[in-house]
Amino acid sequence: MLAYTIYISFFGALVVLLMPKGSRMAIRTVALLCAIAGFALALTAFVQHGTGELTTVALAPWIPSLGIHYHLAADGITLCLVLLTGVVAIAGVLFSWNIEQRVNEFFAFYLLLIGSVYGVFLSYDLFLLFVFYEIVIVPKYFLIAIWGSTRREYGAMKLAIYSFVGSAMVLVGLIAAYVVAGSHSMDLAALASYRYPLHFQMWAFPLVFTGFAILAGLWPFHTWAPTGHVAAPTAASMLLAGVVMKLGAYGCLRVAMTLFPLGLSSWGFHVLGFGSWRDVFAVLAVIGILYGALVALVQSDFKFVIGYSSVSHMGFILLGLMTLNQIGITGAVVQMISHGLLAGLLFGVVGRMLYDRTHTRELGKLGPMNLSRALPFATVTFVLAGMASMGLPGFSGFVAELMILIGAWRVSPLLAIGVGLGIVTGVAYVWRAMQKAFFAEATTIIDPHPPAPITLPEKLGTGLLLASSIAVGLYPQMVLRLIAPALNTPLFSGLHGGGW
Amino acid sequence: MSTNLLALLPELVLTITGVLVMVLEPVIPAGKSRKPLGWLAILGSLLSGLAAFYQLQIVNAQGTLTAFYSTIQIDPFSIFFHLLIAAVVLVTLLGSLDYFESPITHAGEYFALVLFGAVGMMFMTSSVELLMVFIGLEISSISTYILAGFRKGRATASESSIKYFLLGSFATAFFLYGVALIYGATGSTSIGPIAAGLAITRTPTMAILAVAMVLIGLGFKVSAAPFHVWTPDVYQGAPAPVVGLMSTAPKAAAFAVLLRFLFNGTPMLHGHWILLIEILAVASMCLGNLGALKQHDVKRLLAYSSIAHAGYLLVAFTGTHQNAVAGACFYTATYAAMNVGAFLVLSQLSGFSERIRSIEDFTGLALKRPGMSALLGFFLLSLIGIPFTGGFFGKFYVFSGALQNGHVWLGIVGLANSGVACFYYLRLLAAIYSRPTSDSVAYIPVRKVTAPAAVALAATALATLGLGILPNKLVHLVERATPTTTAAVAVQPTQQ
Amino acid sequence: MTPLNLFLLLSALLFSIGLAGALTRRNAILVLIGIELMLNAANINLIAFWRFGPNPEALTGVMFAIFSISVAAAEAAVGLAIILAVYRHNKTTNLNQIDTLKG
Repeated sequence: MLAYTIYISFFGALVVLLMPKGSRMAIRTVALLCAIAGFALALTAFVQHGTGELTTVALAPWIPSLGIHYHLAADGITLCLVLLTGVVAIAGVLFSWNIEQRVNEFFAFYLLLIGSVYGVFLSYDLFLLFVFYEIVIVPKYFLIAIWGSTRREYGAMKLAIYSFVGSAMVLVGLIAAYVVAGSHSMDLAALASYRYPLHFQMWAFPLVFTGFAILAGLWPFHTWAPTGHVAAPTAASMLLAGVVMKLGAYGCLRVAMTLFPLGLSSWGFHVLGFGSWRDVFAVLAVIGILYGALVALVQSDFKFVIGYSSVSHMGFILLGLMTLNQIGITGAVVQMISHGLLAGLLFGVVGRMLYDRTHTRELGKLGPMNLSRALPFATVTFVLAGMASMGLPGFSGFVAELMILIGAWRVSPLLAIGVGLGIVTGVAYVWRAMQKAFFAEATTIIDPHPPAPITLPEKLGTGLLLASSIAVGLYPQMVLRLIAPALNTPLFSGLHGGGW
Repeated sequence: MSTNLLALLPELVLTITGVLVMVLEPVIPAGKSRKPLGWLAILGSLLSGLAAFYQLQIVNAQGTLTAFYSTIQIDPFSIFFHLLIAAVVLVTLLGSLDYFESPITHAGEYFALVLFGAVGMMFMTSSVELLMVFIGLEISSISTYILAGFRKGRATASESSIKYFLLGSFATAFFLYGVALIYGATGSTSIGPIAAGLAITRTPTMAILAVAMVLIGLGFKVSAAPFHVWTPDVYQGAPAPVVGLMSTAPKAAAFAVLLRFLFNGTPMLHGHWILLIEILAVASMCLGNLGALKQHDVKRLLAYSSIAHAGYLLVAFTGTHQNAVAGACFYTATYAAMNVGAFLVLSQLSGFSERIRSIEDFTGLALKRPGMSALLGFFLLSLIGIPFTGGFFGKFYVFSGALQNGHVWLGIVGLANSGVACFYYLRLLAAIYSRPTSDSVAYIPVRKVTAPAAVALAATALATLGLGILPNKLVHLVERATPTTTAAVAVQPTQQ
Repeated sequence: MTPLNLFLLLSALLFSIGLAGALTRRNAILVLIGIELMLNAANINLIAFWRFGPNPEALTGVMFAIFSISVAAAEAAVGLAIILAVYRHNKTTNLNQIDTLKG
């Protein structure tokens, strides 16, 4: 049934495209129904699936002579991320209820993006995975280039080129893996169980990992992320930060680390204190955490603050992956979910609730508007989302960051200190943004045109995202029960045997 | 039917139709529409495709056919190219049936020349004797020289034509000189005996020089860098449907010749020519993509893109024999589908007078012509290599062949290039989709897409999509297409 | 020096002269002449290889030369027609002045 998440989204995209241009309400409703249907399917699978074991969803030959199959499968990690996609998809439709121009194209691209994201998470054949992974680039390019705001064509182009270069690196690695294993199969399990020679893994791992990590905002290849997020329309930035960046992290874990586990092992020599690719990427991740947080601290554009905070949070995920212990990697997956929900929410507040009403994102201009009075709902939402993103207990961010912190501590206390500094800076930039935008010293100029009140769709979207985050925060067992078994499937056995 | 006739059936059909079109041309009074001639030509190309299909049945049943003292060899390889060329010609003719805005008196020549050109290209792919290849090359080249300048009365047309002619015959001279040297080194000009002669030649250096010169000559024809300088100018000035044709079919034919010549004729020198191929491939990919970055004229942009695609195609040659043939065949087919499609859209949009040319002219096209924009967008995405289009699978197939043979660096350079390449395609797409309608788009009259053109567009789009989603069928076909040097060909040419 | 080598030298010389002419001349007709020289250099090669080759009773070389001469004639005819068309438009055959097509 889970495969229908993809089909419904693609079919919905086609339907929306063919609907008459004038019927905006109908188009939105169809898009919302498709998103809800996907969410419902994901939720059903999430609830029914007792363990995190791998189950095949669909399997059919595609190009048999090359060993390529249409193979969809789900394990615990997949289920969590598919559910995340469902939640963010609904919230995204609700937050783009006010799109007025070229509505059917907008939602067609939107649903195409959602469908491909589901596809990436569910693919178990690497060719198929790559197909969906690259299709994602097209709708996100158009969503930004057509409906975006500040420097949209620049932002869209930068994002597209980074993505294409990243996916080209991935493709080289995948083809090489396929060829070295004898060109029989593109199946993930088959390739992951093949024992690649060490020297091959030593160059293939960084290639594929970096290729995926570009999309996950790995420092120093993160620069597309803030500009892309800022240029994108609200729904697109929600999806971009919420799920598309997760695709990169998911690829790192699911493909790079399972295919080439030995690529993480020691080089046998030291360069500048680095003894393995694991050290390199862990340090880059910590730099990303600190850099993102510090840059977010000095931004004057509200959306840039959120954009750089995404870079910082994605750094946590990559660091979690590089801890190579159960708790760290589990934390990374939880952080994917948590950041997906919270980034969606923060972009929703800034892009939809504030920018669409005040037409500015400058913190200095938002302050005098007395927003805590004018838009109390937005204020409360941002405060809650900000607290969650700081990692306050009770929210999903706390669970995730704690697990990553513990995982990092086990590897090296030095890394953990870096993480701790990142968390503290995180508190600072959220606090600063909140202070400047909502609680600045009101100059008591009563705006003659008060901003329009928050609409029902926005409230619903906010509620959904916030509730999900609190649910994960209060009852983390909900996702942990699925993630932990998934990390112990045969797929990850190479990783266990490698540098684990 | 005698074997000789059967072996040349597709070419014969085309020749007869072409001659008929030429003869009927003066019968139709001046000022009358030349469309019936177009329909006749379409019928001819359709029949020729069917003839090639008929040959395939025969070959499947009886094995390879040879004819004319073993100078013509009909095997799945040549039939594949026959079918491809017939398809490209058919689609081009359908698309250019209503291309001429007013009934001009010499439109019949246009249809006839397209057919004659196709005859030459088909000859190139089926012949295993370099003399026949040379004649085929000349027939196809001379026809396309004239077609390039077909928008008579415009300075750009004749300029395009003369540049194409001068550089084309320049390349021919190289090719001929190479053939002469290979004749000297091996005592033969047939593929099979060349391979045999190379084994015992006393002048290997001359043979290497010969292969290099043949490569230069054909490199010009397929517009591989550094022999690509003519391409942008010629494509810019030539009529759009003709560019669609000449950027695909003659290139496919030249690649077929290269495949036969290099893999069947000179496998002994593999170690030498593989290096040249690698250089050509890397140069074409890099120069093509870098050159395209700063173009404003859409046809020029696509010209540079075709140089880059020639590079990707050459990458296929670094695989094993079977991989190379399969990869190159698949890629020529997908490239033909998407590039002919893209130029058909251009010809439908801007018409014979080509009023919209530059990227600026295309701004906001999506708002005025959503259907055409979507089609063009689709072909551009295929040229980038987005999944679910033929372009993606073609690239995957070609590069996996190259990597399989250990050419990792070539794979990395190629795929990095395709990352860079997305920039200029997306620039055009951004102009079409993300900006308000420009004046030049606003003022162009909306030409109705006629039924034949619609069929042609649908055919190319479906082919591009089909090759991306269900490549299985074609993969199966091209994997069996590896031509062999049959024993019949390997006999010494003393029968004369 | 064997006679074959002499002929090869001659043809190589002819080819080089043609190549140099085709590359340096700016007049379209002179470029065409250069190309014709290159083609005929190849023809000389073909005939020399046939005449001094191991197998002169097989007429491959001559056949090839005859065909290439006739094909080159057809090509030259088309070429001159194209040059005429260019001249009618631009009133010049200087390739440097035929430069409306640019990126």
